[in-house]
Amino acid sequence: MNRDALVWCLVAVAAIAVAAALVLSRRNKAIAAKRQQVEAALTQRLSEADSQLAVLRGELQQHKAEHDKTIQEAEEAAEESTKAVLKGSARFLQSLAAEQLTLLEEIQLKYGGHSVLGDLLEVSHANAQMARKAQGIAVMCGAPLGRRNRPASVYDVVRSAQGQIRNFRRVEIMQQTGFALKASAVSPVALAVAELLDNAASFSQQGSPIEVTFQRVQKNLCIVIDDAGVGMNDEERQKASALLSGDYRPRLSHLGNQPKFGFPVIALLAQQYGFRVDVTGVSRYGGVRAVVLLPEELWTEEETAPAGDSRVSSIRDAVGRPEPVARTANGLPRRGGRQVPIASVPDRDAPAPGAVPEDAGRAAARSLGAFQRGTLSGRNLASAPSEGADEA
Amino acid sequence: MNGEPDEELELTSALVPLFVITNGRGLPPDHAYERTTLVSAQEDTGAAARTLSPEAGRVLELVTDGFLSVAEVAAHAHLPLGVVRILLSQMEESGLIVARKPVPRAERVDREVLNAVLDGLKARFGA
Repeated sequence: MNRDALVWCLVAVAAIAVAAALVLSRRNKAIAAKRQQVEAALTQRLSEADSQLAVLRGELQQHKAEHDKTIQEAEEAAEESTKAVLKGSARFLQSLAAEQLTLLEEIQLKYGGHSVLGDLLEVSHANAQMARKAQGIAVMCGAPLGRRNRPASVYDVVRSAQGQIRNFRRVEIMQQTGFALKASAVSPVALAVAELLDNAASFSQQGSPIEVTFQRVQKNLCIVIDDAGVGMNDEERQKASALLSGDYRPRLSHLGNQPKFGFPVIALLAQQYGFRVDVTGVSRYGGVRAVVLLPEELWTEEETAPAGDSRVSSIRDAVGRPEPVARTANGLPRRGGRQVPIASVPDRDAPAPGAVPEDAGRAAARSLGAFQRGTLSGRNLASAPSEGADEA
Repeated sequence: MNGEPDEELELTSALVPLFVITNGRGLPPDHAYERTTLVSAQEDTGAAARTLSPEAGRVLELVTDGFLSVAEVAAHAHLPLGVVRILLSQMEESGLIVARKPVPRAERVDREVLNAVLDGLKARFGA
């Protein structure tokens, strides 16, 4: 009896358990089905949102690009108009400085014997520096450079550059050379070298030397500028190379309050006139070695008369040097007895056939020439014996 | 912006400015290298002469084998007198040239001395 009851009890419990298990599994199935449904709905919405986002992103990108383009255009327009304004002023300064240099030269000739000459020389130094700045700005703005119409020796071109920097006495040109630059290359190379010399002077100690040498390397003529400064680190060197190669062109507005446009100017000149400039070398003093590499199209091997030579009379050559010089009994050289007539110093007013036309503003030189002819004619009249007889 | 073509500026000034030729030196004192001072090159100027600037070299050439006055050198070299004087003083420092001073003018005698002499003469011979 007891056992039956127990069995029945067990059966009942088992039945209940089976029923419960059935109910639970059915519910689980229902829940799972619902979850799947919900998940599917969510995924769909998510993908919809995603695609919307992508579209919006695309639009944003487009707007951004348009915006950037507008800004860039505005910047370029601003740059162009700034350049146009600056160009006009720079050209004005440029021509004024050039005019002033010519004027100063005339005044220097006119008052050559006066003590004011010392001051005039300083004024023209200041003016030469101003002319360089004006030229630099002009180049940055795309204006043409002042042009020289005569070829000149590389030595003179470097001396011209030397005169355009403040501490020009620190520059030592170690050798003279007969290589001549073609007329069209004279101004740009002078300006580029001036900027390099200015850099060398600014980034080395006061009083330390800046040495210039010339080297011919295969078909190129090199102007080598060595300074005794601290040199450049790798980063500076890279930046300088980027500027000089023209890979990086800073805008005028990015040059800052104390604009350093030396390298950009050099880069523009080098590109326009076809030479190369490198500043990555190390000088023999541990400073920077700057090299201007002039391809053969820019120079000739012909000896060009140094600047001003055309102005120098060839008196000694013309008269044929008396050798040895006759001396009077008193030991004074005898100046008489010149065989060639006075016309050996030609009148500059009557240009010899084929002579280069006279420079503008050589009026003072002309008056000196007249003086010189006067002294010569005087000498010729009072010939040898009047200077003291040998037997005396 | 403006339709004008960019006209090239022609530079007429000398390529090498005078202050570079003088290397920024000041003028020598007034009494040195007067116009009539005679200058001549030293006998052996070999090594030092080779390092001269072309302008100084030309001046040296002018005064080689004879004396020339400073004014004449300036005229022949077509350089301002002062520039030639600076070059000459530089060259005399390096022993390349000799300068022969012009004959000095008779020095002006002190007026008081002259008066004293006059007084003495008057006292002696009567006036």
